[in-house]
Amino acid sequence: MANGTPSRRPLEPWQDPKARPYVRIDRVTKRFGDIYAVDDVTLEVYQGEFFSLLGSSGCGKTTLLRLLAGLEYPTSGRIYIDGVDVTEVPPYFRPVNMMFQSYALFPHMTVEQNIEFGLRQDRLPRRERMERVNEMLELLRIAPLRKRRPDQLSGGQRQRVALARSLAKHPKLLLLDEPLGALDKRLRENTQFELVNLQERLGTTFITVTHDQEEAMTMSSRIAVMEAGQIRQVDTPTAIYEFPNSRFVAEFIGSVNLFEGKIIDLQGDDVLIEAQFGGLMRMRSLQPHPIGTPVVVAIRPEKLRLCPTPPNNGRVNQLQGVVEDIAYLGDVSIYRIRTPSRLLVEMTLTNTQPRTEQVLTWDQEVWVEWSPTSGVVLTD
Amino acid sequence: MKLQAVSDDEPRLGRLINIGLPYLWLGLFFLLPFVIVLRISLAEPALTQPPYTALWEWVDGMLEIRLNLRNLQLISEDSLYLQALLNSLWVALVGTLGCLVLGYPMAYAIATAPERQRVPLLMLIILPFWTSFLIRVYAWIGILNANGLLNGFLLWLGVIDEPLKILHTQTAVYIGVIYSYLPFMILPLYANLTRLDRTLLEAAADLGCRPWCAFRRITFPLTLPGVIAGSMLVFIPVVGEFVIPDLLGNPGSLMVGQLMWTEFFANKDWPLAASLAIVLLAILVVPFVIMQRLQQENEMN
Amino acid sequence: MKGRSWPLLSVLAFGYAFLYIPIVLLILYSFNESRLVTVWSGFSLKWYGELVHNRQLLESAWLSVRIAALNATVAVVLGTLAANALVRHGRFRGRTLFELLLTAPLVMPDVIIGLSLLLLFVAMQQTIGWPESRGFTTITIAHITFSLAYVSVVVRSRLLRMDRSLEEAAMDLGAHPLTVYLQITLPLIAPALLAGWLLAFTLSLDDLVIASFVSGPGATTLPMVIYSSVRMGISPQINALATLIVALVAIAVLIAGQSMRRR
Repeated sequence: MANGTPSRRPLEPWQDPKARPYVRIDRVTKRFGDIYAVDDVTLEVYQGEFFSLLGSSGCGKTTLLRLLAGLEYPTSGRIYIDGVDVTEVPPYFRPVNMMFQSYALFPHMTVEQNIEFGLRQDRLPRRERMERVNEMLELLRIAPLRKRRPDQLSGGQRQRVALARSLAKHPKLLLLDEPLGALDKRLRENTQFELVNLQERLGTTFITVTHDQEEAMTMSSRIAVMEAGQIRQVDTPTAIYEFPNSRFVAEFIGSVNLFEGKIIDLQGDDVLIEAQFGGLMRMRSLQPHPIGTPVVVAIRPEKLRLCPTPPNNGRVNQLQGVVEDIAYLGDVSIYRIRTPSRLLVEMTLTNTQPRTEQVLTWDQEVWVEWSPTSGVVLTD
Repeated sequence: MKLQAVSDDEPRLGRLINIGLPYLWLGLFFLLPFVIVLRISLAEPALTQPPYTALWEWVDGMLEIRLNLRNLQLISEDSLYLQALLNSLWVALVGTLGCLVLGYPMAYAIATAPERQRVPLLMLIILPFWTSFLIRVYAWIGILNANGLLNGFLLWLGVIDEPLKILHTQTAVYIGVIYSYLPFMILPLYANLTRLDRTLLEAAADLGCRPWCAFRRITFPLTLPGVIAGSMLVFIPVVGEFVIPDLLGNPGSLMVGQLMWTEFFANKDWPLAASLAIVLLAILVVPFVIMQRLQQENEMN
Repeated sequence: MKGRSWPLLSVLAFGYAFLYIPIVLLILYSFNESRLVTVWSGFSLKWYGELVHNRQLLESAWLSVRIAALNATVAVVLGTLAANALVRHGRFRGRTLFELLLTAPLVMPDVIIGLSLLLLFVAMQQTIGWPESRGFTTITIAHITFSLAYVSVVVRSRLLRMDRSLEEAAMDLGAHPLTVYLQITLPLIAPALLAGWLLAFTLSLDDLVIASFVSGPGATTLPMVIYSSVRMGISPQINALATLIVALVAIAVLIAGQSMRRR
């Protein structure tokens, strides 16, 4: 999985206590009838960020985006953009533009007219409008399409026109609802990088909604993982992947092995855990937990090590089992190992050597081990 | 950055206009008239202008209210009116069934036609509607006449020896009703049939259901809303039909629409005509409620 | 669904024959020399000649066209407003009655609408002195009342099929609600407005019963003239008139079909 983000400034704004958030969502709730689409959400996004709202369908991410656009008004709570309370400001007065999931291109207007639409509303003089339109057509490399109508465009072209239209007014904040959702896989991967480059060039703050974790990991400065109208974790892609704060986030992003157990001893930065599978685990814990706390240890499949013989680490952080499943994916192989306690452990190995013969075979007895810093200790 | 707080005036004004204007119009010219019809149905005919008595009058500083049930009594006692009502319901029933029997297979055939043919075929159903209804009914006089085309054709075929009397019989009314109202049956049926998920029928076939079984167990139950909608669109207006029985029907068996027309224009008995309207309305409330329910359920989906 | 079995196709063919034979016969016999339907005595345009010189008929046709055009225009405005209300304003107070008032005219027998409106006009004349006489105005009002219901059905279904995000996108780009309606919504529902206008125009041109009730002396519409001449028996002039109407409709359909194909 590609989880590297482009390198950024040394001190990120969200780490800087003096930085002022560009968008501030303050305890916002949106209710439709009995359903809490957005439930007491507080969130701060800084100037120049590429921020992603990530969650499965129905988690409230799109509603949150629509609240920012002014297409919905919150049931309670306030929304500030650039320090101004915009909670009750209608969409046509907000300094925000949105790219719709369906693109919402006006079918009765040409590409040019679509891009020009927002500028007309600002009553810009014609010359300026044309300059902006040309700028956008250049920026997104769609100048040859200017006289076409939306139904004469391919999916990828429509996506560019929609992006051009929403950027034409030079908004400080651009909202993108599943910006790549309607594209096929190949196109999507190319467009991801283009979108990031564009955002860095323009310096516009982007908030996007996506259900595709890979997409969120590739593009974002930070990700908010949402579930049932609430934000479960806000962090950089790396932190979300390496240090999930809950079982939900750990399972939502990538694959993970979860070992349940109970803390039986504290040893400096580490805790000693009696695992349900019958062994002991010694793990680095970021938060202090008292003895007796039930915990879950989350370890990513690629952080596990495979040993053909019993490891020599005093029966801590190890498991014994047999290979039940092997899935060869080309670059990596996934192994599923069944322990005597019926636990199924997943691990991945990079195929560094050209593989002409199996290193491991089905039903082979193996040992799995890991280091105290290879996973996180979670309490829920 | 300049931001204006929400100005709710514009949407609110739009709302007022959108709801208010049509509401006002329909309230004034559709709802209010029924109240007046109800009032006049309780009056007596008079040789005044307008030809009915006042319902209330100030006599010596006292309000005198005269409610007259003569009309309702007349309608319930005189067999002329009762027969006309029954006849109207019967014609509407036969007409509706006729439209269904002819319209369902037609709608089915159009809905299962290749996609490119559907719109033209449907267009051909709607097209006659754009030419004058009156003239189309009139055309049947020439066809059903004793020396008309149908009789000429049948005589030529040798099926009959002497001309049949079709014009000015109930049969002619049935034909006229089916002919005029067929599109109203086909359109909702077609809409319903095209929405039908074809994979359901494939699934039924896969599970061993033969075509007729698939039709009976899957297609028909799922298009029942269309059948009911189409039936109501035919039944309700036909009960009050005037032109078709007047031009094609037997003067001996009148429909209630004709009676209202006669009471009003020939006999100048406005209160009686109003009473007939009230009775007719009362009868039509039930099918109307069924139709309304169905429509609302349709919107839920 | 192998629906193309021959029994089904023969029912379809019979249905179309049933719908079109009367119209074809009308056209055929409009060119017949003889007054009798069964006898073909040679090609002639004499009924068209008589039609053109039938002043009463031409005057009534002109009146009907004027009523139909005004009716259609007002009905499109009111019907579109009503459709907006139903699609855009969710649950407002009195919505159930509103929907009822918009559905009832679709099926209400003409005799009831005609009689009730006449009684209303009489009552209004007695109490507020308006309308002074019955004719053009009262017929138009009556026609608008039922036409607007038909228009609202047509426009409503178009509005329901429209992608709401188009309007949201326009608002997001800074357009006020009224601008959004005029620049986005109206152009997109324009075909439905045209269809609604034509429907209302036809309904008005076709109405005999309601117009007969609410009309007064001196205001005779085309259907009223046709009706009185048809009651007299077969009248070849009506055949000629029918042929002209069919020709007009056919031309209109062809033009509409062409412009649809071009899109």
